[in-house]
Amino acid sequence: MTTTALVHVVVSGLATGSIYALMAISLVIIYNATRTLNFAQGEMLMISTFVGWSAHEALRLPLPLVLLIAVAAAAALGWLVERLVIRHAIAATHLDVLIITLGLSLVLRAAAGLVWTHDEFPFPSFFRERPIGLGPLRVAPVSLGIIGGSLALMLALAALFRWTRLGRAMRAVAQNQRAARLMGISVERVYSASWVLAAVVGAIAGVLIAPVIFLSSKMGLVAINGFTAAVLGGFGSMPGAVVGGMLLGVLENLAPLWLPAGIKHSVPFLLMIAILVIRPSGVLGRVRQRKV
Amino acid sequence: MRTLLTVLALLALLGAPPAGAQTPGVTDAEILLGGSNSFSGPLAFTGEQITKFGVDLYFRVVNDAGGIHGRKLRTVYYDDGYKPQEAVANTRKLVEQDKVFALIAPQGSPPVVATLGYVEEQRVPMLFPYQSSPVTRGKKWVFQGMTVSDRSSRMMVDYLAGQRKIKRFAAIYQDDEYGKSFLAAFEKDLGRHRLKLLAAESVKRGVSDVSAQIAKLQAAKPEVLFLVLVPGPAAQALKERQKIGWKDVLMVSTGPLTDERYLALAGDAAEGVEGLSLWPDPVTSDLPGVKRYREHMTKYFPKNEPNRYSVAGYFAGMLFTEAAQRAGRALTRAALVAALESTKGFESGILPPLTIGPDHETQKQGFWVRVEKGRFKQLTDWLRSE
Repeated sequence: MTTTALVHVVVSGLATGSIYALMAISLVIIYNATRTLNFAQGEMLMISTFVGWSAHEALRLPLPLVLLIAVAAAAALGWLVERLVIRHAIAATHLDVLIITLGLSLVLRAAAGLVWTHDEFPFPSFFRERPIGLGPLRVAPVSLGIIGGSLALMLALAALFRWTRLGRAMRAVAQNQRAARLMGISVERVYSASWVLAAVVGAIAGVLIAPVIFLSSKMGLVAINGFTAAVLGGFGSMPGAVVGGMLLGVLENLAPLWLPAGIKHSVPFLLMIAILVIRPSGVLGRVRQRKV
Repeated sequence: MRTLLTVLALLALLGAPPAGAQTPGVTDAEILLGGSNSFSGPLAFTGEQITKFGVDLYFRVVNDAGGIHGRKLRTVYYDDGYKPQEAVANTRKLVEQDKVFALIAPQGSPPVVATLGYVEEQRVPMLFPYQSSPVTRGKKWVFQGMTVSDRSSRMMVDYLAGQRKIKRFAAIYQDDEYGKSFLAAFEKDLGRHRLKLLAAESVKRGVSDVSAQIAKLQAAKPEVLFLVLVPGPAAQALKERQKIGWKDVLMVSTGPLTDERYLALAGDAAEGVEGLSLWPDPVTSDLPGVKRYREHMTKYFPKNEPNRYSVAGYFAGMLFTEAAQRAGRALTRAALVAALESTKGFESGILPPLTIGPDHETQKQGFWVRVEKGRFKQLTDWLRSE
């Protein structure tokens, strides 16, 4: 294996890893606000990407507009799902909401099949695929583009959480709902906002990854890797989600290079078990110390 | 006592088979066929095209022309999502509850293989399964549809190693029955040419990146890389090759893969790819059967684009109709099997004249194609596997 090939494999892994990280972040955003897992996250990504693509097919819009439409569709979908379904189950247990989102994911996938069929479609890309030389190395612009785009989005999210009122409210609700409510924060609005925000992150991830894994009703399955990434990094931690996603993407790519065919696909999960045994709270998760 | 007797007599009447309807699925007015297929999961598009836009398309043509010996054709399909256990449950339901006359065009090696035992035991004809594993060979009630993997492999290897004198081969394959049956066949056929596979890398089904596999395969320096994949991952493999600028290799796709969909997905990364095509080009071919297929598609399903899967289903419908016509008005399952077995030189206008032998295989050939400007260009006449 030459260094050039190795670098390419790692960069490719970082690109898919960035998408896992974005999925992990969107799961964590909802989890932190509402303490529930959204199993329909992947399907929401799929639907919003399809909406963007439909606009592209029908009106031949340029790609930046397509991205905007996908984001708008995602925001609307996230808001609707929260207001029409999840809000009504506010008194239910987390397990009930989890089952609701699981059902929702099946409904959305079936609906997408009815509207757009279960076929796979090519999706236009912001970036080119033919490699460019960087010194002795060769990298594909599409991989760099996905990594760059994801990092930019992550920075924007970090800024939002740190410096805006909404971000502070979301962090407050994540830490202690009752205290947040007593401070005058509308917890319901935070719920709503986190569903919208998570859906928007998903839509951007969808538009970035669709040229690589193609647009189809089953592309939402990428959320499973996002979930693994979130657990790897320590569920609830944003930096953890990023580290977990990148780690998973690179590992998935490196494992097949040296390990026999029979075991390579299970490496991410073996790693996840190992990390959970050694550090049950994940790589960057908060370790909870209980006083006796 | 009299009441009891009356009740018993009524029950006996109800339980008795109505006269003249011994063959399941065949009444005076109609013939009922059914199948378990993928309407969700990875092969949902294929499944829908084969059945609802292929088999049913031909059956609509037949029904509008008066049916087969006065009987209209009706179909019922259930979704197995490419899962063997669902396929078994669906098949039992079709045979025991719906009482179909025969099973038509089920799809995918794992689901089809799981139902073979039951089908043979129940003596229900299974017509033209759309899958490539040779395990259907030699079954009394099964008539294989697609060219099976060992025949495809023989044609591909003989053409490349024999006519084109290529020596270095490698493969990237899907980690399931489809991939493995091809891999075993490649090893065997390359062995006959005193060659072997230099490297073989597997791809798991679902979302993944194939950069590691392609990097390893490139290190083995093959002249030909066989793609034994489904459209999505295959297009990813082609794009990956473009990403690393790997030029001195010929990518060759297997029969089940060689279709327009994967060309559309791969875009310009598909230029120069070669492969074994099992069907004539559904859009451009001017064979009489393919032209009729296009006319019928425009008439009945104007919104549905022509593709290889609906051609395959259309051909299956045609072959069933032809045999059922010859089996006569007194249609039974055994009579259908006998009629199929006596098929000689059947002209479909789509595939070469078909004679069905004791192996019950209805498709044994393919021809070589190369992708030029986004379409398959035919390079050879039909290659034979016998």
